[in-house]
Amino acid sequence: MASSWCWSCLSRLRVTPTPRAILPPQSITPRVASASFHSSAVQYANPTKKKGALVTQKYRQGQTLRRKKKKTTERARPPAVGERKALRKRIVLSNPNALEVEGMQDLSAETMVDSRLRGSVVGLPLPMLDQLRAVQAFKPKQGWSIFRRPGTVLRRDTLEMGRLFEKISGEGSVPEKGKVVKKILTGLKGSGKTVHLLQAMAMGFLKKWVVISVPDARELVSGETSYTPLEGTSPLQYVQPNAVSALLTRTVEANRAVLSSLKVSQTHNGLPGLKPSSTLEDLAKLGFQDVAVAWPVFQALWTELTATAAAPGMEKDFVPRPPMVVTVDGLAHWMKESAYRASDYSSIHAHDLVFVKHFLSLLQNGQASLKNGGMVLYATSTSNNPAIYTLEVALEQLAARQAGISPSSPDYPSPEAYSGADERVLELFKPTTGKEPQFELQTFGGLTRDEARGYMEYFARSGLLREEVNETWVGEKWSLSGGGIIGELEKLGRHVRSTAQPAPVSV
Amino acid sequence: MARPTTNGLAQALQALQIRPTLPARPVIRSLAQQRRTYAIEVEAAAQQSSTPTPSELPPTELAPAAPKIEFGSFLSRPARIVPASPSYFSGSPRFIDHVLALEDLQAKYASLPTVAASEAPRMAWFKLAQFRDYVGEPVPMKKYKILVKILQRLNRIQPDMLPEEVKTTLKSFLRPGNPFAVEHVSRTVDENGRARAKGKRKESTAVVQLVEGEGEVIVNGKSLVEVFQRVHDRESALWALRCTQRLDKYNAWVTVRGGGITGQAEAITLAIGRALMMHEPGLKPVLRKAGVISVDARRVERKKPGHVKARKMPTWVKR
Repeated sequence: MASSWCWSCLSRLRVTPTPRAILPPQSITPRVASASFHSSAVQYANPTKKKGALVTQKYRQGQTLRRKKKKTTERARPPAVGERKALRKRIVLSNPNALEVEGMQDLSAETMVDSRLRGSVVGLPLPMLDQLRAVQAFKPKQGWSIFRRPGTVLRRDTLEMGRLFEKISGEGSVPEKGKVVKKILTGLKGSGKTVHLLQAMAMGFLKKWVVISVPDARELVSGETSYTPLEGTSPLQYVQPNAVSALLTRTVEANRAVLSSLKVSQTHNGLPGLKPSSTLEDLAKLGFQDVAVAWPVFQALWTELTATAAAPGMEKDFVPRPPMVVTVDGLAHWMKESAYRASDYSSIHAHDLVFVKHFLSLLQNGQASLKNGGMVLYATSTSNNPAIYTLEVALEQLAARQAGISPSSPDYPSPEAYSGADERVLELFKPTTGKEPQFELQTFGGLTRDEARGYMEYFARSGLLREEVNETWVGEKWSLSGGGIIGELEKLGRHVRSTAQPAPVSV
Repeated sequence: MARPTTNGLAQALQALQIRPTLPARPVIRSLAQQRRTYAIEVEAAAQQSSTPTPSELPPTELAPAAPKIEFGSFLSRPARIVPASPSYFSGSPRFIDHVLALEDLQAKYASLPTVAASEAPRMAWFKLAQFRDYVGEPVPMKKYKILVKILQRLNRIQPDMLPEEVKTTLKSFLRPGNPFAVEHVSRTVDENGRARAKGKRKESTAVVQLVEGEGEVIVNGKSLVEVFQRVHDRESALWALRCTQRLDKYNAWVTVRGGGITGQAEAITLAIGRALMMHEPGLKPVLRKAGVISVDARRVERKKPGHVKARKMPTWVKR
């Protein structure tokens, strides 16, 4: 039977205690004992914790709030000064995990001209590595560290250069002893310009030439080394004694065998400490022992190396001087205002730095300067490259001259009007006159398919590449690397495996 | 003359037919001729010679406005005015008229032999929106499908036996500029051996000239390496050639504009795939499997008001 009480009345009754008489009798609204949510007995529950206030104070315990202090974790210290740079510039030439390539030949006087070896990788001779390191021929990120030992591809340009080395050394079928070959190397990023310089230096060491190298042209103009005005020059020129001294150090380190076998053959007035019987090594050492005389020492060394005959009275120990290899990497930095300032705070043009000018002048009078012949290789860079409009025009002019366009023809490129072209740069790149041979522009492209195949096989034989190197695979990589750009091929070769694989053709 | 409107009475009261009293009260239905949508039942028989008969009206003109009804000219006042079309009081009378007319035709020629649907001439019927414009009524999709079904049935009548009446009726339901009449010209390799094709992806457009060669690729006059520094982009740009193993058999000369790196690479993929199909149409199944043929038509979703981006809402702040 339904209750006569409505629910709302009941609830109101419960909330506000009203006279008991109103409440319905127990029998009508039976009192239900509400079951607790938990069915387990109350006794089994955990004993309730005592309230904090009830905890008795220990004897002589402070009453201030105590919080646990956070432990300060010992942070790793930042690396020491120069350590990061050292890590960045570190050059690792060997990977013990890579397989040794069997039957790999070393670069030697024979292999560097052997066209049968074209496309194969030849190892750099191990004793030469220290010399190459000394001239800073290796650069980081060139991938030397993934192979067992450093090696380079013998590509067409390498073999051609090898033949030039033979000719200039006075060997081979058509010797041209005493010739100077001057080249400016350009090309795409990763096309092997710097490694070409390295190969030139290696060949120079093999042929016992004197190798002089400026590994990074930027360092001479970026305001990193000291500079002083050179007295008695007009317009004022500047010398960088520390840079010269460093170059002397590198040169001596790398060419110790050659320099120590040559005796001083000229009189050098500015260097009183020089004995007539001392070797060229001793001469160069003067330069890096005393930075102040580094520039005169460099000049003296240069005169000695380019001498064709001894001064009168000093003929006793005169030995014919070897040819020289001069390499510069990152030429564009020398075609603009340097970061140095003159006393009136005007920028110093890079061509006003005597040391830079010395190397640049070889383009115009290399034959006159390098009387014993040699090779002058100046490479542009694409990874660290200031955009210099005048240089672009100058290189275009050079290319046009090489293509047979005369400078008087209307097709000959010239800088645009009001473009503010740098006259000094254009002057530097103007065609040489007289007996002086013209300098050439060598543009680097990609490897041919056969060369690329040899290069990729080298990866496979070193255990880096676990794929079948066949014609189609190489052709595919050749296209993907923009026509065999060697730096890109290296990237593709060292990839463990690309994720996407082409589906097999089912036509 | 008043403008023809859907519900205007003046438009409809055009053809007055006065007949002797009939017990059955026949209503003249004229479905094929749209102009006459009304018939009038009169009690007294009186033929109005001034009113034009349906056959006198130009048949091409669709639903011209009816002249105003002169009630004074009747010999006797009409008891009531009945619309000629039975569907006059429906929501879409003209559409229903069409359907009824077609149904009549279908019934009339039901006995004619038919051909298979695949062999019937291909007709581009009005799209729904166009048909709505044509009849001037909001026709629902489902009902329009019924109409198209009848059209298709009529179209299946063996073409050499198709009556002229049906032919003209069917023609009136065709889209202007019959799209199926336009012969599709498939592009081919030109006389110099170049296949030219375009591709699009995101905001990029690529034009590719593909010739037989050794696998050299020039993009915007530059090397592939200069344009795409990432190997992945290079791979995806040449994917069509790579997955068919034709990388060393063609040279590509590419112009690509607009968009970003990835978009440009994938636009080139599409363009090369199409150009390759001109050289070798047999590769189509392989290319389709490689995902080179289907176009990715996605574009950046627009930003909406009240949103930070297309979908992102501003952070909820309590007060």
